[in-house]
Amino acid sequence: MEDIRKKVEALSEEFRYRLIQAANEKALQELKVDFLGKKAEFTSLMKTLGGFSAEQRPVIGELINKYKVDFENSIAQELVKIREREKRERLAKERLDVTLPGRRRPIGTKHPITLVREEITEIFAGLGFQVAEGPEIELDYYNFEALNFPKDHPARDMQDTFFIDENLLLRTHTSPVQIRTMLKHAPPVRIIAPGTVYRCDSDATHSPMFHQIEGLMVDKGITFGDLKGILTIFVNQYFGRGTGVRLRPSFFPFTEPSAEVDIACVICKGKGCRVCKNTGWLEILGAGMVDPEVYRHVQYDPESISGFAFGMGIERIAMLKYGINDMRLLFENDLRFLAQF
Amino acid sequence: MIVTYNWLKEFVDVALPPAELADLLTMLGLEVERMEGRGEGMDEVVVAVVQEKAQHPNADKLSLCKVNNGREILDIVCGAQNFKAGDKVALAQIGAVLPGEFKIKRSKIRGEESSGMLCSEKELGLADESAGIMILPPDAPLGIPLFEALGLKDTIFEIGLTPNRADCLSVIGIAREIAAKLGEKVRYPGLTVEETGPSISGVASVVVEDSQLCPRYTARYISGCTIAPSPQWLVDRLKAVGMRSINNVVDVTNYVLIEYGHPLHAFDFDLLAGGKIVVRRAGEGESFTTLDGQARQLKSSDITIRDAGKVVALAGIMGGGNSEISEKTANVLLESAYFKPSAIRLTSKRLGLHTESSHRFERGADILILTRALDRAASLIAELSGGRVAQGTIDVHAGTVHTKGIRVRLDRINRLLGTSLTAEEVVQMFNRLEFAVETVEPGVFDVEAPSFRVDIEREIDLVEEIARLHGYDQIPTTMPKARVFSDRPTRHQKLENRVRDLLVAHGFNEVVNFSFISPDSYDKILLEGNDQRRHSIKLLNPLVEEQSVMRTSLLPGLLETAAKNASFRVLNQRIFEMRRVYLAREGRELPDEPINLAALLTGLREPEGWNRPKEAADFYDIKGVVENLLGELNVSGVVYDNKGAENFYHPGKSCHIRINGEIIGSLGEIHPTVQENFEIEKPLYYFELNFEKLVAHGRDEAAVKAPPRFPDTFRDIAMILDEETPAADIAQCINGLKEKQIEGVEFFDLYKGEHIPPGRKSIAVRVRYRSPDRTLTDDEVSRLHTRVVDAVIKKLNVSIR
Repeated sequence: MEDIRKKVEALSEEFRYRLIQAANEKALQELKVDFLGKKAEFTSLMKTLGGFSAEQRPVIGELINKYKVDFENSIAQELVKIREREKRERLAKERLDVTLPGRRRPIGTKHPITLVREEITEIFAGLGFQVAEGPEIELDYYNFEALNFPKDHPARDMQDTFFIDENLLLRTHTSPVQIRTMLKHAPPVRIIAPGTVYRCDSDATHSPMFHQIEGLMVDKGITFGDLKGILTIFVNQYFGRGTGVRLRPSFFPFTEPSAEVDIACVICKGKGCRVCKNTGWLEILGAGMVDPEVYRHVQYDPESISGFAFGMGIERIAMLKYGINDMRLLFENDLRFLAQF
Repeated sequence: MIVTYNWLKEFVDVALPPAELADLLTMLGLEVERMEGRGEGMDEVVVAVVQEKAQHPNADKLSLCKVNNGREILDIVCGAQNFKAGDKVALAQIGAVLPGEFKIKRSKIRGEESSGMLCSEKELGLADESAGIMILPPDAPLGIPLFEALGLKDTIFEIGLTPNRADCLSVIGIAREIAAKLGEKVRYPGLTVEETGPSISGVASVVVEDSQLCPRYTARYISGCTIAPSPQWLVDRLKAVGMRSINNVVDVTNYVLIEYGHPLHAFDFDLLAGGKIVVRRAGEGESFTTLDGQARQLKSSDITIRDAGKVVALAGIMGGGNSEISEKTANVLLESAYFKPSAIRLTSKRLGLHTESSHRFERGADILILTRALDRAASLIAELSGGRVAQGTIDVHAGTVHTKGIRVRLDRINRLLGTSLTAEEVVQMFNRLEFAVETVEPGVFDVEAPSFRVDIEREIDLVEEIARLHGYDQIPTTMPKARVFSDRPTRHQKLENRVRDLLVAHGFNEVVNFSFISPDSYDKILLEGNDQRRHSIKLLNPLVEEQSVMRTSLLPGLLETAAKNASFRVLNQRIFEMRRVYLAREGRELPDEPINLAALLTGLREPEGWNRPKEAADFYDIKGVVENLLGELNVSGVVYDNKGAENFYHPGKSCHIRINGEIIGSLGEIHPTVQENFEIEKPLYYFELNFEKLVAHGRDEAAVKAPPRFPDTFRDIAMILDEETPAADIAQCINGLKEKQIEGVEFFDLYKGEHIPPGRKSIAVRVRYRSPDRTLTDDEVSRLHTRVVDAVIKKLNVSIR
């Protein structure tokens, strides 16, 4: 029995030595096989138990088992240590040049005209305006006649028109959508109508095709003061809180009183610069109270309802927003320009 | 309309400096678009006297002068010859900046010091041409800035007038607006004409044959005129408002045009046959040569002014050379008339002849101002030309002009504007505008607008006048007391945004091409002669031929854009456009304008980089985009059909896209000939879809299932089959087994070439099996898979590798 105790202690000695020597997972694995494997000398000690007396057997069994548990735990602990160390070494070795560019999937862009249209439409949608649309190839009646532009009236000169035939033309503004909407719906009406419009004019500030956003609100008791209110909210949301707004008298055949709407120059904050021609103001839209003559064409009663309309050029606003000074850039489709939006 | 500050002050007292006056005008609806100070920054040009004039020692043509500016005596070298010692001259001192950013510096000219420059009118911007330097009157005050000394310091306002404000096309008209706003009175010129000549009735006569077209015609006769250049003050005034001086008679008509806003015409009376004026419609096809030397073909809708025989003027638009004022003119017949606005407009527009005169007549002149303008001009002509005005005025008119009151309600004004003005305030404002007001009952007025306000016809016009004069900035800003609205974007609008976002996420840049294209575009994209899309809607008056027909496809625009960008060396392009096309419809009032969605891609699949392969994009890249798009809109039943593909595609690499049999678009590689037609080098891949149809076939919500709880198993089949057999047939064959436990079919390899017989191809297919309620056993999967393999072999002439 002493023999076997000595044997076990000698093996344990050897195990300790080997454990210290084990430098990696593989060595540890070998150690496990050599001491705890089926053919290991230590394992075979268990088989000698039968040769001992009934009193000695549990004592020796307990002894061997104690060492067995000790070996297993030691190997497990060592394994954790080795793995930690290897991980540390690996992390210390692996290095990337983080300044090299990553693998990017190119993301496209919406056209600035789309971006501006979406943003403006969203603001008015928040104020309860619904989006309406109308045809671009339009009847003279809706584009002019019903908007109180009589035939052979100088007001028609304000809008150089592309014609398809005597009665058919490319709409010169989004205002015909007002007529189409009011003919379809009884008041109250509250719409915003973005769309493409055309005029035969082409230079740095005019394009033969451009875009407008039209607004119309008709209900009981709508006043000119309300028009100022709605436009002030819009200007503050789009151009920033506290942006100055100014309405001044103007003329459109389909509104009366009519107004041009200026905002305090967004470039110089009203001090005067090249963009605002030193006036401190930028003209951004036209507006006014719907003319009774227009109501006559859509069979609304001007004595019981009132309302306002307004319209703005999307390109004009895009040019201000993005600091573009030539409108043609918006239609040249140069990807080196468009990819920036 | 151009007016000057000094000119306005002749008619109204203004204490405001020019900049504030400009603001006031703008806020009245008379937008000051440009303001220019005359003589501004020219204070270093002063009145000086030449004390000595001597020959320059080193140059024959130069003189050496001693010039006194009132403070010191300066040495000045001068090249002009037209002056002598003792003359008062305009001296530009060191530091002066003349028009054209010409800075005066101390200099040495041929070895002699010169401390300034003696200026000509031209150098000072006072005349277009001048001979020699400017010699000033002897009494010009020494040392005073020149523009001040000559009374030329002024501010020019250029006013953008809206077409309704014909009354403001004059200095007096604008002065009237200022007076109304400031509560001042306009000082109208006092008019007494000294009639020292014979009675006009014995000399000239006027016959108006069509009083519809010419409701009033007035004339005066001035005899014994001497035609000469106008005095400087008149030349300066006209120049300030952008008009050229002609002679003392024509200049007066122009002066009165600007002052009163009423166009006048002066005839050389001796060239009028029979001393007679006849106002008559032109004969159809009659010819008349206007003052600008152009022969004009007339129509019976044109109004002519004639003498006993010939046409002498195109009424209200332009006179003729045959009766023009010339150096020989001695006797003048002066016309002041009123012509029907629409008639003048029609003629002016048809002939493309737009003049100061037609501009005013077509907007509506003031029929009651005729004789006042006539008297003003006659007096001035007599004064400047030494002529004598005949006694009396010819005044042919259809009868007295009736103006009628317009009823306006105070309550209406306040309700529309959101104001709380009182009756007194409103009446006072009308009075300031020179409108006569009669109170019918409390808060109800009959208002009569003066004859120059041709734009005031209805109650709403009067409401606007009150708003304008009160000031838009004085109207309280409020929010509508409206019923609550809440509307969400329509399905169509939402999908439009979603599709744009999806394409942007796929790396596409949105472009906006013009809706009109070149008519030869359809040849360039190889459309068949009878293709419906060739029936474009045409513009009657395109700007250029390349923008003359409304597009029926987005392809030409996108190809132009791709070609343009390729020429900028942008070789990898992904572009899309989602906009309308325009399709003619027989028997309908308006064409159809559906939205199409098209995208084009060319170049590399992914941008080149240090860590990725350089691979060219191909057909399957564009198809992948379409598949994602249709997936996003939950469109099912899609078939990619190669039969009868569009001509503009490569016939073997393109297809129609069908949903439940209906063609909703196409996709493919652009035909090499089309590519050549647009001069593009690299292959292009394209799709175009009818967005409206897409929306109709799409479903809003995807059918959502809970994630599977049991694992899947897959088995691969490598098969060799006919090259012509589409992969879709394999999928269809397997899915056709309707086995619930077959979850899906994926293609993971395609091979042709070595080891594969000619006319055959190898395709590798992965079949995925799964049961929703248990893990399938190996045996179950094997049984299913055997069925699959058998079905494929049986149906598709397939051999399994």
